[in-house]
Amino acid sequence: MRKHLIVGVAVALSAAVLPSVTASSANAASAICTAPNLQAAGGMDALVKAAKAEKQLNIITVPRDWANYGEAIDAFQKAFGIKINDDNPDGSSAYELQTIKTAPASKQPDVVDIGITHTGAEAQDSLGRSLFTPYKVANWKDISTDWKDANGLWYGDYSGSISIAYDSTVSPAPTKIADLTNPAYKGMVALGGDPTAATEAFTSVFAAALANGGSLTNVQPGIDFFAALKKSGNFVSVPATGANYASGAYKIALSWSYNGPGAIASAAGIGKTLKYVTPSDAALIAPPYVQAINAKAPHCAAARLWEEFLYSQNKGLTSKTITTADTKLSGSALFAKLQGGQNIWALGAAHPIMEAAMKTKGTLVTPPAGFEIPKGQKTYSPSFDQVVAARDVVNKNWATATA
Amino acid sequence: MKRSLTLYTTLILGGIFVFLPFGSAAEFSFRDGGANKHSLKAYRWILEQPDFVHYLLVTLKLTVIAVVITILLMVPTVVWLHLRAQSLRPLMEFLTILPLVIPVVALAIGAQSAFPTWLQSTEYELSLMFAVLAMPYTYRTLDTGIAAIPLATLTEAARSLGANWFNTIIRVILPVIRSAVIGAVFIATALSLGEFTLTVLLHWDTFPTWVTSISQQNIVGAIALSIFSLAAAFLILIILNFTIFGARTKKVEE
Amino acid sequence: MPETVEVEIKGATSRGTLNRRNLLVLLPLIPIFVYLGAFFLFPMSRVLFDSFKSNKGEFTLENFQIVLHNPYRLAFLTSIKLGLVSALTAALPGALFAYLIEIKGSERIKKLVSSLSGVLSSTGGVPLAFMFIAAIGAQGSATTLLKNLGIDLYSGKFTLFSFTGLVIVYLYFQIPIMVVVFTPAVKALRNEWHEAATNLGATRFNYWRNIGIPILFPSFAASFLLLFANGFSAYATARAMTVGNVALVPLQIGSLVDGNIQVGGANIGKALAMGMVLISAVAMIPYLVIQRRTRRWQS
Repeated sequence: MRKHLIVGVAVALSAAVLPSVTASSANAASAICTAPNLQAAGGMDALVKAAKAEKQLNIITVPRDWANYGEAIDAFQKAFGIKINDDNPDGSSAYELQTIKTAPASKQPDVVDIGITHTGAEAQDSLGRSLFTPYKVANWKDISTDWKDANGLWYGDYSGSISIAYDSTVSPAPTKIADLTNPAYKGMVALGGDPTAATEAFTSVFAAALANGGSLTNVQPGIDFFAALKKSGNFVSVPATGANYASGAYKIALSWSYNGPGAIASAAGIGKTLKYVTPSDAALIAPPYVQAINAKAPHCAAARLWEEFLYSQNKGLTSKTITTADTKLSGSALFAKLQGGQNIWALGAAHPIMEAAMKTKGTLVTPPAGFEIPKGQKTYSPSFDQVVAARDVVNKNWATATA
Repeated sequence: MKRSLTLYTTLILGGIFVFLPFGSAAEFSFRDGGANKHSLKAYRWILEQPDFVHYLLVTLKLTVIAVVITILLMVPTVVWLHLRAQSLRPLMEFLTILPLVIPVVALAIGAQSAFPTWLQSTEYELSLMFAVLAMPYTYRTLDTGIAAIPLATLTEAARSLGANWFNTIIRVILPVIRSAVIGAVFIATALSLGEFTLTVLLHWDTFPTWVTSISQQNIVGAIALSIFSLAAAFLILIILNFTIFGARTKKVEE
Repeated sequence: MPETVEVEIKGATSRGTLNRRNLLVLLPLIPIFVYLGAFFLFPMSRVLFDSFKSNKGEFTLENFQIVLHNPYRLAFLTSIKLGLVSALTAALPGALFAYLIEIKGSERIKKLVSSLSGVLSSTGGVPLAFMFIAAIGAQGSATTLLKNLGIDLYSGKFTLFSFTGLVIVYLYFQIPIMVVVFTPAVKALRNEWHEAATNLGATRFNYWRNIGIPILFPSFAASFLLLFANGFSAYATARAMTVGNVALVPLQIGSLVDGNIQVGGANIGKALAMGMVLISAVAMIPYLVIQRRTRRWQS
């Protein structure tokens, strides 16, 4: 009888306690999944602890040689011991959003890095709710209001400028877009891809417009420029990939500045010397890509830690200089020692979104040589609406112009 | 002899057309830091990659399943269509050409939106889709092969000579449609081994997608991988041709 | 022969009615219909469904109106042209090659050719583009060789990254497809009819005119249609070899549905896909006419 009583009490007690125990761990889990900033997530130590417990981070369409992302991935993995899974590194922004909308839970990305034009209706589910969950990083105020959502759903991360990439054997060396009409460049000039599908190629056409009498509201001269270039035989309509460069299909291309360091290293590996120069007649800084945390993120803490990491303005340890001793430090101590994402991107020849603030504070690293925009050169940055308008013109006219 | 001249000239010309592009790319894959030095560096790099064997096995597994599905599904269907349901052939031809006409991108989008979660959580959905993608080719190969055979007459003859259905199928029908079945198997195999677009859009990783992601790190290595894939596929088919499918040729020709 | 008489007597009443006989005929076809239905028609129904939806989810015919205009109109015309030219350049050489190998080739050569054709039939995309660039690109091995012999491929307007270039590169997989799909028909023709005809004293011309070509023609037409559909809808190779200068429907679908520039155009892309289905349905009409006429002969 007594035994039954004890058992009965034990069962009753555990029935009372257990739900609140599981509830509090569930609450803890869901708490972090709705935490809109570092404070709500419990501070850096707690965030790192929770992220480490999740063990993984799902990112999507992040090429390693894009803006030095490879270094960011390596440093993060090494410092925190969190494995990063990268779905389809060569994918598109549309692919990222489509994945969030349709993929099963195991394939959901934690964070996305998409073009800013995709933050509209595309980034909502069928009921009009945002696909993202709001999160404002610790340095939120250093992001310009033009390039972030007021509620914290998405925020600009880095942008690039259009450079002229050319093989060192090309003579004379091009310095501006107008140079590309030189008959010496017959069969040499290429674009990164299809301007109606690839942002790099689209922005290149935009840059060509600026260099040929166009403006941020008139992109047609850019299309006409390439039409003329094709007629003269200078423009070769092959996608400007590394492999095509290696086989000599093209020698000059308009390319993102932040693909530069990676491409130069890659070219050296096959015995070629690639050079990059910012065109002196059109320094176009494109609208930034934006980060966002998936509302259905499977690893909520890791996602937030990753964002804090990408927006950290610190100078510090790289993936090559992190030691095991460092990894044993407390979360916030380790975080403070790491080189932050903003500087990692700067080293990749990208323009981190917090560039202006960091220059003032003196915390910005020196970008690689050859990628700076020369002092005094005017830079152009189209707005969201200008990009949309230009895009429609390019969509309509590109195929017929370059047929 | 005169007959050999046409054959060998054609083979040589065809050989040039086939091996010139392949050989040029292969030469590239042997490059070691420039156009002047050649070595097996890229291929050694491939074999050192930890994921190489894993993705190869994944793709092989999915391919075998896709081919088995194809044979089990298509061969009885086409045989039956020719034997008893000739009037339905036009409909089938239209239906089976659709997977080819609809770009894979659109099909992938449809699959993502329509398929239930449990189906999208298993990589075997790829095998199922490979069989669909191969259908235009496998159907046509079987169809044209069987159409040129007087299948009805042969079947009637066998049946009227006393063979039951089982014997008719095994000893009369199957041997006669052999080469069509082999062709279908080959196309289904090659297609499944190299399928890329649908795999990527359905968020899976197979050998072809792995090759593409690796290519960012090593241009020559990526090219070596493509050359390797083609050579490996060729080897697989040759082995199939000379062993499993090869053994009984002589008997049939008698 | 007795069975034929039986059918003739029952004649018009048998076809099309839901009697037991017709249903039994359909029974073994259930697996293929179910399979196609589940794994193809079902996803495609979503695409069809969405092509009638606007971005807000309302029913609209606007997508179809949009695709009737440029740049989509140009793309439809170019894609059809590419399909036809590609099929024309590959079908006859492929058929002749298949026939030659069957007649004159040894067993070993036949096996080699069939294996090689099987592999090449699935080449495409970036690897195929690279192979051709490495061979006849601006600095390709063959280009350099020909230059040393005094022939400059690039002295004129030729470029690999154009409609013409695509036709050339497509041959690499179209001809092998033709060989694989058409060879079984050639094999059967050779085995069954050739001996019978020669035994009965037919000349080669008679043989071909009255037996060979009529028998092979339906298979040839079927293979031709396949080549057309393949060239019409090929995506990866065109994407690896052009930058939007050759307007093709599959590329546009890719840009709309899986691109970085065009936003909110996914349903237009789906309308384009439906357009491709419609075109292939139309393409099948002459083919079905041919088949019906030859089938009358065959039965």
